[in-house]
Amino acid sequence: MNTVVEIKSEEDTRPARPRPKKRNWAPYVLIFPTVLFLALFFAWPMVRGLSLAVWDSEAFLTLHEEPVAKGSETGKLRQNTPLEILDQESQIVVTDEADERRANMITEVWYLVSGEDPDGQTITGWAPEARIRVRGLDASGNPSDGTVRPRLGANADPLTALFEEASGNSDVVGHLEQQVAVKIAEQTTREIWYLVRGTDEAGDVVEGWSQSRFVQVFEDETKGRVDRGDTGELTTRFIQKMVDDRFFEPAVRTTLLLMILIIPVQFVLAVVMALVIQARLKGNTYLLYIFAIPLGVSDLAVGIVFFSIFTQNGFLNSILQGLGLIDGPITYLSAETRGWIIFAIWLAEVWRATAIVMIIIVSGLQAISDEVLEAAELFGANLWRRVRYVILPLLRPSIQIALILRTILALQMFAVVIALSGGDVVTVLTNETFRQYRDLRNPNVAAAYAVFILLLSMVSTTLYLYSLRTQKEKAE
Amino acid sequence: MTLGADAGRADIAHASPEVRAIHRRMLRRKKINRGLTYLLALLIALWVLVPIWFIASMALTTPEVVRSYPKSVLPFIPFSFESMRFFLESDGIVPGFRNSVIVAFITLTLSTIIAAPAGYAVSRYIFAGRDAFRLSILAVRSFPIVILAVPIAVMFISLGIFDNVGSLALMHTALTLPTTVLVIGSVFASVPYEMEEAAMVFGCSRVKAFRYVVLPLVAPGIAAAAVFTFVMSWNEVFAASILTVRNRTLPAQVLFALDGSPQHYQFAAAFFMLLPAILFIFYIRRYLFNMWGQVSK
Repeated sequence: MNTVVEIKSEEDTRPARPRPKKRNWAPYVLIFPTVLFLALFFAWPMVRGLSLAVWDSEAFLTLHEEPVAKGSETGKLRQNTPLEILDQESQIVVTDEADERRANMITEVWYLVSGEDPDGQTITGWAPEARIRVRGLDASGNPSDGTVRPRLGANADPLTALFEEASGNSDVVGHLEQQVAVKIAEQTTREIWYLVRGTDEAGDVVEGWSQSRFVQVFEDETKGRVDRGDTGELTTRFIQKMVDDRFFEPAVRTTLLLMILIIPVQFVLAVVMALVIQARLKGNTYLLYIFAIPLGVSDLAVGIVFFSIFTQNGFLNSILQGLGLIDGPITYLSAETRGWIIFAIWLAEVWRATAIVMIIIVSGLQAISDEVLEAAELFGANLWRRVRYVILPLLRPSIQIALILRTILALQMFAVVIALSGGDVVTVLTNETFRQYRDLRNPNVAAAYAVFILLLSMVSTTLYLYSLRTQKEKAE
Repeated sequence: MTLGADAGRADIAHASPEVRAIHRRMLRRKKINRGLTYLLALLIALWVLVPIWFIASMALTTPEVVRSYPKSVLPFIPFSFESMRFFLESDGIVPGFRNSVIVAFITLTLSTIIAAPAGYAVSRYIFAGRDAFRLSILAVRSFPIVILAVPIAVMFISLGIFDNVGSLALMHTALTLPTTVLVIGSVFASVPYEMEEAAMVFGCSRVKAFRYVVLPLVAPGIAAAAVFTFVMSWNEVFAASILTVRNRTLPAQVLFALDGSPQHYQFAAAFFMLLPAILFIFYIRRYLFNMWGQVSK
């Protein structure tokens, strides 16, 4: 007997009478974690992906009149604009900004020190880290004692200036001699600001202050460029870049071609497999198990398995030569034999992903009552007619689901292609997403690819739902 | 195909010779059909098994045999673990294996813990928004979620949890969660509500009824769902390759090393990744229809 068949209609087991009136919060509590998780890791990334694809968050750099973040603006410069650097100053680091932007800013540390000046007076003031050698730390690990560093060079100023504020532009409080012991009361990290000049979009020359984190300074320290902006703009730049990419068109073409080649064959094979399972032969459960094995095999493994068959010293050549059909090994997987590569990918995908279609179709078949099929048989319908006019129409919902799942799987195809083609000769959309993200370090273009794939899947899903409507739905 | 029944067999003996002849012919045709079905079953089984046979024979032999041409279709000559050992001792394989197992276990735990209550709610309660919830789960499943790895990677980098086994497990959980909810929902649905009700009639609280009546019945099904979650995470390549750099999982490591690695490394890797699939699918074979069948209803 078939022990696998255990599908009960859900309708039968639902509580017959929902208890009215009193609102039951239990189900909402129970589904809450799922909803929250999917919001965080599905909906939010989706929005984020979309924004990555069409939003250039670093398009413009805002220049300020004063070297403070809140100061009034003098203008905006586009990313990569060449800059003249006129001045620099350090300011307290603004800590509440996004951390990723702070990665390559230039900072300097200043110490508030006190020590005896050449006249024997104790003075207190700020000195940059470069001038003080830290000699001791306090209990919490902050510097507490130090000495003034000597200046090297014959005509160097032997004195070190202390400033009223932690900035080289503030007033000088006094001077210390080299090697004088100092107490360090406080330290502060300051970010460098540059006074820059460049030409904006409208062709006007603008001048203003910007933080070091946005500016790339060239070696002579008088020239630089806008490394990245702090103001975003809506852009089709990334989508344009994706479309212009030389791999884009082949990737789209190959992905669609593979989908068209794979899906019909898979459906035929899956229906045949399902009918074999439904025939309830001896050892049916084992048969089912064997048919279902590919369900659990990773696409990378499948890619390598079919590589072992199609590679030059692989099984296909070995068998053909063993049968005397060829004289020497044929090269299947090379740049000149794209057709063979696509054939190998096609075979690998049919091998791997037919199982899931079969499972869905078998469970759909099991929901069709035996009486219906018997009636068809009694009225003399042969196998083909039974399949065509009874089984397939009743399987419509299962086929719909299987088609949708199958198309997504085809769109996600990735490692098989890499294993069989190295990812260059034959390429698919996921592979291009990967290349843009990993090799070219271009997350925005990668996100554009991702959005494109998501769109394709949405279009195909809608198409399936629409074209496989039942007659009743069509009438409505 | 013998989809019909043998109704009316008892009456055949009393029927006229013509009818009996027709009946005999029908039986013969049925026998032939059955024979053809067996043949078909055998062919399909071979189609599935032969590639596995090939890779197993290549993984469990010496590198010299792997390089040789033409290959013998008879496998395992000579039988050797040399290729396998070479693969397992290669750079990054042992840590990759460890990462893969950790990621898969976190994924399995997370997605079961999150999905089980939702599955229970969907199969046991009627509530406003139930259909919307079910539909949105289905909708989420009809997206290539793997592709979300790119924005998730960007998010993880800005959160400082990039290249981390735990964060990859979060991504994998997002990947498996919709399926797990649907599967666990159908597992719960296969236990009649009346049993729970009966237990409550006999004085169990709802929690007790769940603990002593429902749980023992659904445990194997949920275990099967968990195993399938494990397999999905174990197999996942794309997100793993995007979200990890130093802490690669096994498939990500193999993919990374694929270009320029010797054939015996590749074949051993494929066999090694294939093994758990064969074992796990065997373990959950009874539940496969629970997993995918309910989806289409």
